[in-house]
Amino acid sequence: MPDITATDPATATADNPVQGIDQTAGNFSYKIDYEFDAGTGLSEQTIRYISAVKKEAPWILDFRLNALKQFQAKPLPTHWATKDLENIHFDKIRYYLAQGQKPKRTWDEVPDDIKKTFERLGIPEQERKFLAGVEAQFDSEAAYSNVKELVAKQGVIFLNSTEALREHPDLFRKWFGKVIPTGDNKFSALNSAVFSGGSFIYVPKGVKVTHPLQAYFRINAESFGQFERTLIIADEGAELTYMEGCTAPKFSTSTLHSAVVELVALKGAKIQYITVQNWANNVFNLVTKRGVAHEEAEIKWIDCNIGSRLTMKYPGVVLKGRKARGEVISIALANDGQHQDTGAKMIHAADETTSNIVAKSISVGQGRSTYRGVVHIPKHLKGCKNNTECDALLINTNSRTDTYPAITVRGNANPTQHEASVSKVSEEQIFYMQQRGLTEGQAMSLSVNGFVNDLASQFPMEYSVELKRLIDLEMEGSVG
Amino acid sequence: MSQLEIKDLHVSIDEKAIVNGLTLTVRSGEVHAIMGPNGTGKSTLAKAVAGHPSYTITSGDVLLDGKSILAMQPDERARAGLFLAFQYPSEIPGVSIANFLRAAVQARMGEGEELDATAYYKRLYSKMDMLKMDRKFTSRAINDGFSGGEKKRCEILQMAMLEPKFALMDETDSGLDIDALRIVADGVNALRSTNLGVVMITHYQRLLGYIVPDFVHVMWNGRIVKSGDKSLALELEAKGYDWVKKELAHA
Amino acid sequence: MSAPALTSASLTGAFTPEAFAAHLKTVAHLPAWWLDRKQAAYDRFATAPMPKRTDESWRFATLTGLQLDGYARGGTVALPQLGHAPVGIAKAGRIVLANNRLVTHDAIAADFAARGVIFDTLQNALRRHGDLVKSHLLAQPAPQGSEKFAALHTAFLEDGAFLYVPRNVEIADPLAVFHYAHGAHSAVFPHTLVVAETGARVTLVDLFRSTDASRQFACGQNDLFASHGAEITYVAAQTWSRDTLSFQFNSTVARRDARVLSLNLHLGGRQARHESYSQLQAPGAHTEMLALTVARGRQEFDQRTLQIHQAPHTSSNLLYKNALLEQSKTIFSGLIVVDADAQKTDAYQSNRNLLLSDEAEANSLPGLEIQANDVRCTHGATSSPIDPEQEFYLQARGIRKAEADELLTFGFFEEVLSKLTNDQLHDALRELIRTQFKQ
Repeated sequence: MPDITATDPATATADNPVQGIDQTAGNFSYKIDYEFDAGTGLSEQTIRYISAVKKEAPWILDFRLNALKQFQAKPLPTHWATKDLENIHFDKIRYYLAQGQKPKRTWDEVPDDIKKTFERLGIPEQERKFLAGVEAQFDSEAAYSNVKELVAKQGVIFLNSTEALREHPDLFRKWFGKVIPTGDNKFSALNSAVFSGGSFIYVPKGVKVTHPLQAYFRINAESFGQFERTLIIADEGAELTYMEGCTAPKFSTSTLHSAVVELVALKGAKIQYITVQNWANNVFNLVTKRGVAHEEAEIKWIDCNIGSRLTMKYPGVVLKGRKARGEVISIALANDGQHQDTGAKMIHAADETTSNIVAKSISVGQGRSTYRGVVHIPKHLKGCKNNTECDALLINTNSRTDTYPAITVRGNANPTQHEASVSKVSEEQIFYMQQRGLTEGQAMSLSVNGFVNDLASQFPMEYSVELKRLIDLEMEGSVG
Repeated sequence: MSQLEIKDLHVSIDEKAIVNGLTLTVRSGEVHAIMGPNGTGKSTLAKAVAGHPSYTITSGDVLLDGKSILAMQPDERARAGLFLAFQYPSEIPGVSIANFLRAAVQARMGEGEELDATAYYKRLYSKMDMLKMDRKFTSRAINDGFSGGEKKRCEILQMAMLEPKFALMDETDSGLDIDALRIVADGVNALRSTNLGVVMITHYQRLLGYIVPDFVHVMWNGRIVKSGDKSLALELEAKGYDWVKKELAHA
Repeated sequence: MSAPALTSASLTGAFTPEAFAAHLKTVAHLPAWWLDRKQAAYDRFATAPMPKRTDESWRFATLTGLQLDGYARGGTVALPQLGHAPVGIAKAGRIVLANNRLVTHDAIAADFAARGVIFDTLQNALRRHGDLVKSHLLAQPAPQGSEKFAALHTAFLEDGAFLYVPRNVEIADPLAVFHYAHGAHSAVFPHTLVVAETGARVTLVDLFRSTDASRQFACGQNDLFASHGAEITYVAAQTWSRDTLSFQFNSTVARRDARVLSLNLHLGGRQARHESYSQLQAPGAHTEMLALTVARGRQEFDQRTLQIHQAPHTSSNLLYKNALLEQSKTIFSGLIVVDADAQKTDAYQSNRNLLLSDEAEANSLPGLEIQANDVRCTHGATSSPIDPEQEFYLQARGIRKAEADELLTFGFFEEVLSKLTNDQLHDALRELIRTQFKQ
């Protein structure tokens, strides 16, 4: 029998019938004897160990070592970001933990404890139901990776980054680090130094992948840092939807998740990237996500942030080709002890490019949600447009919300508009529902779901259902 | 005596052809009605003649007293004597009607010529009285928060003040109740003279009961397919546009 | 990598310890507490670093334009040298200062003076009403990133205007204070302090003017204090020379049921930074923060605002409108802060940029920090060209394009100007804006 470390026995499922999908449902971990362990702390040695274990080409090691230097040289961005970043102890984190570098192609081959983890999270079931491919990462490496045959036959490549670097080095190298340079920020530099896992996807010209490809990121070990690196290339006219989910058990020490995600949508391609993050509230989630949209291409980020201690994530689109479109749809829910610092960046670099940002946040208890945005329309572009809407809902008396947009427009041919509002749940609405027999908590949940409904309806059905239930859970106990 | 000639005019928006070879000549003192179903290019014709930048004239010509106006800016066309009464007049917050009309009247004067303010206001108030408009109206911003009827009256007021040679009236009756329609029609009728040519664009016969036209044209698919006198409007009203469609199919 | 050690000269520019010592001699007759505060301020100024690129409060600003070298105290000026032109408003009193010194003073009517109204130079007020001035002069936090330059203001502040309106006194006509900078390289430090006691009502107009087009330096502050139920209308018209580096700091305090309306018109300067700090301290307090800017040539206008709601049931309304021509640049950075427990706050913040040129640049940073849930807070920022349909409508009436654009720009500004109830003031500001267009 595996040795289960149930970190919080109070969350036993019998008490709560809807706990199959909540944050605490991910709140379990197995003691794994890791075959590969880079130890605690970060040095050149750590990097050399990771690279050696992965049997990497020399250019990758050089890339990592250069990134380490940049990471060490860069200060924390506390001149604009929260001082809570100073509570990350980079010397107490474990940077690489794996049982092996090659993921299994069938669940039967996946080691029992790891398989059980993903079964509890419902991944194999979802795969059977509606996915075109799945990659399941356990700490540093993918434990399972499979793409449906039909999709593979179209020439779609869906691998984890460790494998992709071995099997498609030229294709990988061509795009890698081009959208997000190593030195973009301190955490992109950190990721570039110690990255492991994450997805690599290439969709050939004109191929439209009808079902979503999914990755699931699981942190299992305490004091661990997960640094997956995802690179998605949609060739001309290609289309795909990618979804990612994340969980971790709740430990007393903090955990770091710092991914880099790069998207390239070539002429006329469409990429939809959906995240439903549900980290335990000891996780620092500091992620850099950016896409480049070429002529008439479209990149849409749908980003849903629940959980974590601190999330800093501003998905961006560089609108590089004429008539490219970028969109960020963002939902954030910050509960007690949580800070969701999320937003969007839209960099217009060609004529007639359009961007749209809709961000909704909910702050519960002492939770704090922050919108931070950048919209940049430089000189001499014509016919560019941006629209930004931010709405914040504050549930409790001293819940907190901040909005910090930055909009630069040059020239007289590019209209932009930004609107933001702050509101609370209407007392009349709650009373009305209570009068019909709902508890205050149920009424509050309905109200909050109503607030995000127009955005949630843009998610694939399975995810919007999950989102709704997550909100229900978060709203329980928020009143009174 | 002036003359506005539209010759084989072709107009497109975003490369889509809307007006396809329309020819029409209007002389001072005449009132022409252009009727036709929605989407047949009536409003496009009016805006293109007035010089709206979104409309491209691909071929043909528009002549005012024998001179082409197509190379002229919208404001030059207006000063040359063209007036467009908009179907949907722009709302311009912050700019009062008094200031706006003054600027428009001043723009028609020679350099160094000064507007006689007393005479200007006297004329303005008499036109407002004619249109049953409150004097306080002039301090309001152009069309800002106006009702449909107020907007149309404001258009007629401008027409009265600017004394054009030719007025293109685009769906002037739309959005008006019967009282407002009567006031607007009375205003237009008061302005009818041997010095003014009018092109009335309308979907319904209703307006023509109040402003009786000399000529009626039916527009279809971007061109005039039938012309006649005022009786044509009544016939159209009785038989509907399908009648024209059938006739065209037989032709 | 270590930065080269900064010499103190690069931190002080022309405002050296010697220059400060010389300045102190000119104000040696003023109260000791004031001189002590000036000395402390100078020390802060001389040691504080210049703004850095990474300072959030200087985001998008052109830092290379902030050099402090080459300026000096200008000479004494007499009224005829100023070419003083009236603004066309009936005034209850007037003070004219040039190069930091009093030029002329039209005292307020005797009956107001008899009721306790003080309208005098700051130096006179310091000597005659020391305690009153002490409790209000530079007593509130003001700067939004310009701590260094605010300290410079305090250190070199020589003279300004002081207005005190006692309980329940209402003054209908505006009081006007003219601040002139005269001569090349003159540095001026304008200051206006307005204290309105319970139920008082007053309007004050600050006019910042240069007598010629030369390179100048201005570093001013105006502080407004509105006690219970008081009503202050404050208008500032800034028409410094096009080669002036200008800082202007505002601090506003609104107590219970007080109403403060401030309108800043920005037309002059090469690089002009305005920081406004508005505190709503008790229920019923309301502030209107308004600004209009016409930016042209290579002018840069940098506006930073903070509206802090420190008590429940307070409201604030900010509307900043910029029209940008040629290669000009504007920055608006605003923040609404709602303190915990400041429930029933109603706060609005709006920045509208009208881009009239293909080379102009508008930056907007509208921010919110909300810590109470039962509030109504919205903000908006738009940057857009002239509406082509409106332009066409005016052109279709025969109005030339340039004139149509000017009309539309005035229309754009009217939303702000119409908040002034004094028609003469309204028309005077319109006229100033018109001159900016005619240049």
